[in-house]
Amino acid sequence: MTALLGVRGLRAGYGSAAVLHGIDLEVAPGEVVVVLGANGAGKTTLLRAISGLIPHTGEITVDGRLCRDATPDAMLRLGVSLVPQGRGTLTDLSVQDNLRVGATTRRDSKDIDTWYSVFPVLGQRRDQLAGTLSGGEQQMLAIARAMMARPRLLLCDEISLGLAPVIVQGLFDVLRGLNTEDGTALLLVEQNAELALDIAARVYLLEVGTVAAGGPAGEFSDNDAVRRAYLGY
Amino acid sequence: MTAAPVNDTTPAIAPQPVKERRSQRLPWVVRRNSLPHLVMVVVGLAIVGAVVVWGGGLGQFDQGQLTRVAIYAIAIVGLNIVTGYAGLVSVGHSAFFGLGAYTTGVLVVRYGWQAEYTIPVALVLCFVVGLIVGLPAIRIRGLYLAMVTLAFGVAFPEVVNRFEDLTGGAQGLTIRLRTLRPPDWSGFTLAERGQWLYWTAVVLLLVIMLVVHNIVRSRYGLALVATRDNELAAAASGVNVAMVKTMSFGVSGAITGVGGCLFAIYLASLVAHDSFTLLNAVALLIGLVIGGQATRSGPIVGALAVVYIPYYTSDIGQGQAAAVLFGVVLIAIVFIAPEGVIGGLGRLVRRVLVVIPAVPKPFNKKD
Amino acid sequence: MGIFLDRLFAGATAGSLYVLIALALVVVFRSSSTINFAQGEFALFTSYLAWWCTTKGVPLIAALAVAIVAGFGMGVATERLLIRPVRRRSETAVLIVALGLFTALNGADGWIWGPDDKVFPHLLPNGVNDYIAIGGGRLHYDSIGIIALMIIVVFGLTMLFKHTSLGLRMRAVATNPESAALSGVRVGFVLSVSWGISSALGAFAGVLAVPALPPNQLNLASFFPILIFASAAALLGGLDSVKGAVIGGLSVGIGLSMINGYATFLGGELQLTLAFVIIVLVLVVKPTGIFGARRIERV
Repeated sequence: MTALLGVRGLRAGYGSAAVLHGIDLEVAPGEVVVVLGANGAGKTTLLRAISGLIPHTGEITVDGRLCRDATPDAMLRLGVSLVPQGRGTLTDLSVQDNLRVGATTRRDSKDIDTWYSVFPVLGQRRDQLAGTLSGGEQQMLAIARAMMARPRLLLCDEISLGLAPVIVQGLFDVLRGLNTEDGTALLLVEQNAELALDIAARVYLLEVGTVAAGGPAGEFSDNDAVRRAYLGY
Repeated sequence: MTAAPVNDTTPAIAPQPVKERRSQRLPWVVRRNSLPHLVMVVVGLAIVGAVVVWGGGLGQFDQGQLTRVAIYAIAIVGLNIVTGYAGLVSVGHSAFFGLGAYTTGVLVVRYGWQAEYTIPVALVLCFVVGLIVGLPAIRIRGLYLAMVTLAFGVAFPEVVNRFEDLTGGAQGLTIRLRTLRPPDWSGFTLAERGQWLYWTAVVLLLVIMLVVHNIVRSRYGLALVATRDNELAAAASGVNVAMVKTMSFGVSGAITGVGGCLFAIYLASLVAHDSFTLLNAVALLIGLVIGGQATRSGPIVGALAVVYIPYYTSDIGQGQAAAVLFGVVLIAIVFIAPEGVIGGLGRLVRRVLVVIPAVPKPFNKKD
Repeated sequence: MGIFLDRLFAGATAGSLYVLIALALVVVFRSSSTINFAQGEFALFTSYLAWWCTTKGVPLIAALAVAIVAGFGMGVATERLLIRPVRRRSETAVLIVALGLFTALNGADGWIWGPDDKVFPHLLPNGVNDYIAIGGGRLHYDSIGIIALMIIVVFGLTMLFKHTSLGLRMRAVATNPESAALSGVRVGFVLSVSWGISSALGAFAGVLAVPALPPNQLNLASFFPILIFASAAALLGGLDSVKGAVIGGLSVGIGLSMINGYATFLGGELQLTLAFVIIVLVLVVKPTGIFGARRIERV
């Protein structure tokens, strides 16, 4: 079966500073994949390159078709949506307007009510400016906004960062639901390896811009070395 | 450099044999204050001296053009401090130029001063006004500060017209040539006024460039550049950012004001809404950008452009071709050579010749 | 009372024109966080264009349309070709490009149409007797027209921002270009259109302003003062707020008219200096202006 997302020999960076030195990675339709790695390994750069925010060399394919010089809106039309690190909500716009902007590529805002039922608190605050929401609420909004385009693959950059464990658990339950019920594939970059390994089918380990290891999630949670390095117990 | 004592206990790393390749012989590395460097400095100064003396022997018109180049160069050297070194774009330096010019004009016409003696007064006045205009720089920067200077530049002619009794208002201020007689000690007669002004302008330009050269190399200059490149880091390193910015406006305004004084003596006729408008402010900026921001000799190249481009294009497009050309060149420079002519030349020269700092004197505690 | 009303009406007329140019600045600032220093010269160029059309026998209303279309094209082309390539480099680069445009456009106007003053036709009736007497003051028809047109433009812009998809995307880009891009907004397109709308607005304002503001003629320096007054207005209102531009523009227009009329010790000639003082005070005391966005962000 053709991979939904294929990445081969991906190199990217900022200006003259190269961050990724040839990444190979795949996500099958409906699969949940997690990328683990220390700070500075290039996880965020990887997601930014895939979503078209920064230029890259190497191949990125969607459904086996090469996306050369793709812009973020082109990737979105192909079904790849990113929840960026640090929420990435439109702080000066209302919650409702954030979700309407999220529907730009589809020109159809019907899903908004669906998301208000998934995250009732957003519905209660629909006319509030996004910048006035709490961190957890902003992250909910960021996920809902990214999902308004009905992507087939959702990229999530450190969803759990700076949030209370109970809120993180709730967000991961929603992600799991997206995957099991709607068949949305997920590519998660996470510090919270335990939670991520729990819902992931496969894992990639990133070390200074290269893939150091990869394999089924089960093997990783059982592997002592990995557990010590990334799970901390 | 004396070799550092090698600690015998550390594993010795074999020094990599430096492969001599022909292409590596360039750039030619010269130490500051070494003999080759001194020779180059002397040759350079000799060329400058020769050009200056050659200009002194030119006919009246050509010499007048060179005088204007020197005057504009002084003004641009001033602008270079605040915009080049401190990174605060000023779109209102025409006002300092005009303030200096009107200081000279008013003192000569209304109070009968000897023109040359008005220069220190203008220097102080423009310094103080510069400090005041620079005050907002403590809180704002970038486009907002540019907006403040723009408004300052646009408002200046209006203020001149308001004080009609002193400045002659919209009619302008005419300085009678008789009152611009060179001082007796100079040995120049009234008829040799052009000669005298040429030498005054050139000498002042060289003195000011020397002073600026030393300022830029001083701790203050370092603080200027540090503030431009990263304000936060500069502040964290103990630079008084507010003081540096305000002072840079003061010094900058003062120098540009001196250019204005000479301009008044040169033109002997001042009309504020003619000579000191926004377009003149932009002309100074254009000179700076063409020559190269934060370069020492860039202002001279810029002044040459500001004086000679309008001169050679005055027959084209109802005299407006220069403005179009300036605008196009300005944009082209941003796209092609952001470091300007001198900056670009400097980069080329560095491929061939590099001057490295002098050998530091060994520091000895016993001294 | 009559004189007071005269001054009030004159101030509101001038103020309405400042509002329009201030709005042009606001539209660009909202989308790309930069001040278009060449805004006045854009309007100067399109005003000359409109004047030239009328000398060729084109009715003024059609000439106005030509100016607006040309303004829109200039804005789009400027953003796409000159601003976008240097945007990421530095604010100074954008500023210098704008100043280059400023000089080049001013020179081009003089080159094409000559540096002498042009008598500009009036779009609105402005005869000596074209006024309504209100409480001893004279409210001229062209004042009514200018104020009404300003209100229509403000209403239209508010509608655009609040109730259209394009307006929503413009607001999204203004808030966070990256998040907007991730939501599928074509940021480059939105920026180009913003510059286009801004310049079209400036072109419209220019044709109204030239015959209405002193010296009532078109010359190469016509838009220096207008840009300064409009900048003072936009800064006073907060640079990114339509409401702010309206309040700022009317305050500057009416305020200067009153000071001009009553504070005679200022000689009635220091309008630009007052605008300069307003700009400095706003920027130093409250850089976000009266209605500037309060950025409340929690992380």
